[in-house]
Amino acid sequence: MRIARAFALVLLATTITACGRQAVRASEKEFLADQVMIFDDDPQHASTNEHVRTNREGAAGGQGAGGGGCGCN
Amino acid sequence: MQLARAIALLLVCAPGVALAEDRAEFSTALFAEKREGGKGGLTVVHPQFDFGIDLGRFVTLDVAYAADVVSGATARIYQVDAVSAATTFSDVRNEGSFALGFKGKRSRLTFGATLGTERDYVSRQIGASASIDLPGRNTTFALAYRHSFDEVCNRDNSMVTPLEAKALLGSDPCDKKGLIFGKDHLDPGTMLGITRWADIAIDTVQVTLTQNVTPTMNLQLGLYGQVLDGFQSNPYRRVRIGPNAPQEHIPGTRARWSASARINRYLPGLKAAVHMDARFYDDTWGVLGGNVEAAYSQYVGKNLLVRFFGRAYQQSAATFFKDAFFYETESTAGEYFTGDRELSPVRNVTVGAKITLISIGNDKPVWGLFDKLQFNLRGDVLFLDLLAADDAAANTGGIDNQFIYGNSVIDAVTLQLGLLGNY
Repeated sequence: MRIARAFALVLLATTITACGRQAVRASEKEFLADQVMIFDDDPQHASTNEHVRTNREGAAGGQGAGGGGCGCN
Repeated sequence: MQLARAIALLLVCAPGVALAEDRAEFSTALFAEKREGGKGGLTVVHPQFDFGIDLGRFVTLDVAYAADVVSGATARIYQVDAVSAATTFSDVRNEGSFALGFKGKRSRLTFGATLGTERDYVSRQIGASASIDLPGRNTTFALAYRHSFDEVCNRDNSMVTPLEAKALLGSDPCDKKGLIFGKDHLDPGTMLGITRWADIAIDTVQVTLTQNVTPTMNLQLGLYGQVLDGFQSNPYRRVRIGPNAPQEHIPGTRARWSASARINRYLPGLKAAVHMDARFYDDTWGVLGGNVEAAYSQYVGKNLLVRFFGRAYQQSAATFFKDAFFYETESTAGEYFTGDRELSPVRNVTVGAKITLISIGNDKPVWGLFDKLQFNLRGDVLFLDLLAADDAAANTGGIDNQFIYGNSVIDAVTLQLGLLGNY
């Protein structure tokens, strides 16, 4: 439970301190838009990994809820 | 020119973010695991097909199909020598899903449903997800929820105690109504139950925050929670307890959560990126786990992308899991007993590589149809290390043969071939 609280605090702090309009300007997103910077840029690769791990590991599950990446949708 | 660059940037961004353009993807994965017992290994062929289109400016539709064709050896009885009780089996699982998405200027809402069916399991799942870019478009919040109404075919053990429960056999009837609903099977002579479908409900919530930190770095934080309620044993598995071997018996409720953090860092001078991933897991059965992963992506020329990755994982045992020798000689640890290797203490390491060939049509479409076409090939190898759950010195039976894993250096291999086209 302590870890969950600490994680929530980090999440909150990150949001408050880093999500300002000027964190990264639109003109500076060239590299962030590259496909290697997109989390789970290959959904089938990610789902296969998750599928294999769910059947082998007791602690599987919970990799991302979708969304995100370069922040330009 | 600036407008053209802006449009190009949007087009590059779109597919990874929210499937915002028409696309088709097909891949097939082969998973092969070494197993002892002279009955062959375990082989899973996993084809997947996804197809997504825009229905106007604000609506998207995604349909997907996946299958598992499984064959190989399985251990019927968890005991000191599980290898001698191994048998062969085969099964096919089919799964279809669709999702309807609604997208705004900075937000997206998706509703989806999935149906899965195999001989002894049916799954009906509904879910929704939402994501929003905060002002500045450097922060994305995503929230997802799904509920599964699953059913598992089981031997009708409603009139016996757990220590008398019989395991399901491959020859037992698992009838269905309309492919996705289980139907109990009665003996026509005695009208007593032979097989009974057991319910399992699964609720899952995930929340992620994705943040652009600098022009070359972004991070993602995730929280995941899940509650499973219902029959969670493997109906075929038996556990040797003294002279008996009843069906395994595990708790009906499990709550689990995990927290993860991922970072991508682009290296402009090298046309490369490094990726780091760490995750912590905990649940009410006493399983504690975690993994760390590192990867490196490198462009080679304009059309080739190579990625190398490595992952290390470790988990502790569930509180009611015991090494087979102690179930046989000392009985259970309380009410429950299991031979599920996913509930044993274990660690593994995966290393692999992926090659992506990217073809972008400039003036002419690729293959006359696609704006962008990607061909992927990846391969992983997995190394596994079983750990003792109990006092290894007192375990004269050992843990080497309580599962039917191989004892070779490489325990499993995954190969995946994929083709992704955007048009």
